[in-house]
Amino acid sequence: MTSAPANPAGTVFIVDDDASFLRSVSRLLSAVGYTVQTFESAQEFLNRLNPEMSGCVVADLQMPGINGLELQKALKLSANPLPVIFLTGQGDIPTTVMAMRGGAVDYLVKRAPKEELLAAVQQAFERGAKERHQRDHLRGLRSRFDQLSQRELEVLERVVLGWMNKQIAADLNIIERTVKLHRTNLTRKLGVQSVAELTRLVDEAGLFKSQKDNRTNPAEPGR
Amino acid sequence: MLGFGLVCFSALDSRAQAPQSTPASQPIHVLMIFNESQDVPGNIVLEQAVRVEMQKLVTNRIEFSSEYLDARHFSDQEHFRVFQDYLGRKYAGQQLDLILVFPSRDYRLARELPNTLFPDVPVVFVAVNEMEVPEAIARLGVTGIVQRFDLRGTLGLMMRLQPDTRRIVVIGGTNEVDRATLGRIAEASRALEGIEFEFWTNRPVADVPRAVRSLPEGTVVLISTVVSDASGQTYYMSQLAQMLAPVASVPVYVLGGWVIGSGAVGGSVVDSQDLGTRTARLAVHVLNGADPEQIPIEVVTKGTPMVDWRALKRWNMKQNRLPADCVVRYRPNSIWEEHQTLIVFVGVVFLAQAMTIAALLVQRMQRRRAEMEIQRQRTELAHVARVSTLGQLASALTHELNQPLGAILRNAEAAEIFLQKDQPNLEEIRAILADIRRDDRRAGDVIDRMRTLFKRRSMVSGRLDFRNLVEDTVALARPDAEIRQIQIITQVPPQLPAVHGDRVQLQQVLLNLILNGMDAMNTTPRPERRLTVRVSEAKDGNLLVAVSDRGTGIASEDIVHVFEPFFTTKASGMGMGLAISRTIVQAHGGEIRAANNALSGATFAFTLPCLDQPNP
Repeated sequence: MTSAPANPAGTVFIVDDDASFLRSVSRLLSAVGYTVQTFESAQEFLNRLNPEMSGCVVADLQMPGINGLELQKALKLSANPLPVIFLTGQGDIPTTVMAMRGGAVDYLVKRAPKEELLAAVQQAFERGAKERHQRDHLRGLRSRFDQLSQRELEVLERVVLGWMNKQIAADLNIIERTVKLHRTNLTRKLGVQSVAELTRLVDEAGLFKSQKDNRTNPAEPGR
Repeated sequence: MLGFGLVCFSALDSRAQAPQSTPASQPIHVLMIFNESQDVPGNIVLEQAVRVEMQKLVTNRIEFSSEYLDARHFSDQEHFRVFQDYLGRKYAGQQLDLILVFPSRDYRLARELPNTLFPDVPVVFVAVNEMEVPEAIARLGVTGIVQRFDLRGTLGLMMRLQPDTRRIVVIGGTNEVDRATLGRIAEASRALEGIEFEFWTNRPVADVPRAVRSLPEGTVVLISTVVSDASGQTYYMSQLAQMLAPVASVPVYVLGGWVIGSGAVGGSVVDSQDLGTRTARLAVHVLNGADPEQIPIEVVTKGTPMVDWRALKRWNMKQNRLPADCVVRYRPNSIWEEHQTLIVFVGVVFLAQAMTIAALLVQRMQRRRAEMEIQRQRTELAHVARVSTLGQLASALTHELNQPLGAILRNAEAAEIFLQKDQPNLEEIRAILADIRRDDRRAGDVIDRMRTLFKRRSMVSGRLDFRNLVEDTVALARPDAEIRQIQIITQVPPQLPAVHGDRVQLQQVLLNLILNGMDAMNTTPRPERRLTVRVSEAKDGNLLVAVSDRGTGIASEDIVHVFEPFFTTKASGMGMGLAISRTIVQAHGGEIRAANNALSGATFAFTLPCLDQPNP
């Protein structure tokens, strides 16, 4: 028998339209020590989803109404993107690829050995915990950036790109001294000492990602 | 006895005219003189034979005149003289060419009478008896034939047919002719060792029939001549045979061919026909100018073995015991002998008819075989199409199977864990087992539904509950429908008239229509993906089954072709599904049609003739 999870902090949310299968998986996972909640449709689960929930989702891929992949998509967009393990009667390759690309922890046939299922749940729990931790961290970071004014964010964006104060002033159409003042303020607000540290923090928070790549140094063509 | 005439003929002198000299137009005149009256059976046959045979041999017409002395009734000298006188006067002016005499024992008829009356006319005689021929006759230039009874031959035939004979009863007379015959019999009997001969001559013939009625086995009766019996009565041999043979308890044998037919078995007999022929030849020989004096009198003792077929049957005698030259009289002609031509004709007609019938049967058999072959191929094709259809469902059905199987596995695993606990929750384990059983049944149902459709089988017709058929078929398609997010709606009234047909093949048709409908909705927005299976009773009393989808519909130029073989709009389709569906529906006496819906999609519908009453 597989050992009970070391610390089953969290719940396994099982979503399957087949009541009998739902019951059987619920029994097994309960027996090995997990807390289990069952849902007969994806809609029912999504209705109950809240940010306090932790653990993982074990869902059937083929369900009437909202199917597995759609559930995965909805979950990912939600405030609480719990890790998903898919169970399927018969997996075909395109569906598998889509599921994994969508970030599924695992993709198992319904008759997969117990060990695989338990390992997948274990892994999902770990990943869930890690992601939750990251989310919490990021939320902390973001709350720090939230203190910055719009102008400070604009300056910061250009600072991490390595622009000089003079360039920034020209780009934003302000005087260089004002740029310096903004830089002082934002480093103070974010509690960083150097530009390097500032850059790392911006990266971690995932700020400016969309623009970063296509934005070039306006001074460059001038050289 | 009797029956012997004696033809004599006087050889006359050289003046006797030879018939060759007679002009062809001139008839030849033959006078026949009989010792007996005209009713002697043996003579009647003999006379007739002579007349016919002579006429055959001579080109001139022969005129026969017959005269009868009737010596039996008028035996005195005076009568003979009157008879002679009468003949003399009667034929005085006549031109006679030959005198044929049947003298019996009275050779005066062959000698004195013609010699006196017609000295120039040649004389030929024929006699049947055992009397000595007077030497004088021969010397007078009269020639003739004397036929003796073949006693030795008759006894031989008797022993041949009845080897167990121990006793022979001879019915004979007392007259000198009779005694001569009996003497010859006694003489012949000496050749037979250990056979007792009894000569019944002392009792009146009238008493004999009663006596022969109870003769013991191993006895036979031989009829000799009875010119005069103990009471002085005269009996012809044929009379005797008629009196005795039918009533005798044992077989009766006779000596004369003319007697056969009266019930006697037979004997080596005097054949009057044969004797007549020989006599006629001798007569013609003489007519032609042969000198009778130069022709010795012929004495014949050899008889002709002759039997009555009916008597053989009566006494249950084997025909294979008969001598090879034996004449069998009164054998009924076989049907073949009697109606040969007709039989051949009828046979040919029958044969021709039989051959026609056989040819038709062979043709029918060949046609049946061909029909069966077509049927077999149709069945085979239907099976292939069915398997191919099920192949489309394979993925969905696997899913449908894995669902309960997965549940069973999870439940079993859970139960194991429960059992390892110190105090297992038996209530939970019981619930698990109940779930396992239910899931097993669920999987079994899926397999059963598939298995019937997978079977290779010929058409089996039966009464169908169409409601149940629709449910089963939709159950097969439903897993696939769920994967493809299609809703299947069935509308089947609770009361349906019963139909007759092959369940598997009709399921195949319905499944095919459902899958086609589902395929048509691949590009339909999901909320609109709805397939409706509707069963209803049409106005004409037929059952109407309609499958409607909300798909792309059928292109107007394709609508007439959809049921044609190899017509397909699908990338992976074989194009046989609808063609086979149509074949199946038509084989059930129904029709299948396709039409586009007013709003979207198409409806495929087929009809089936109903049996009678609504199915309860």
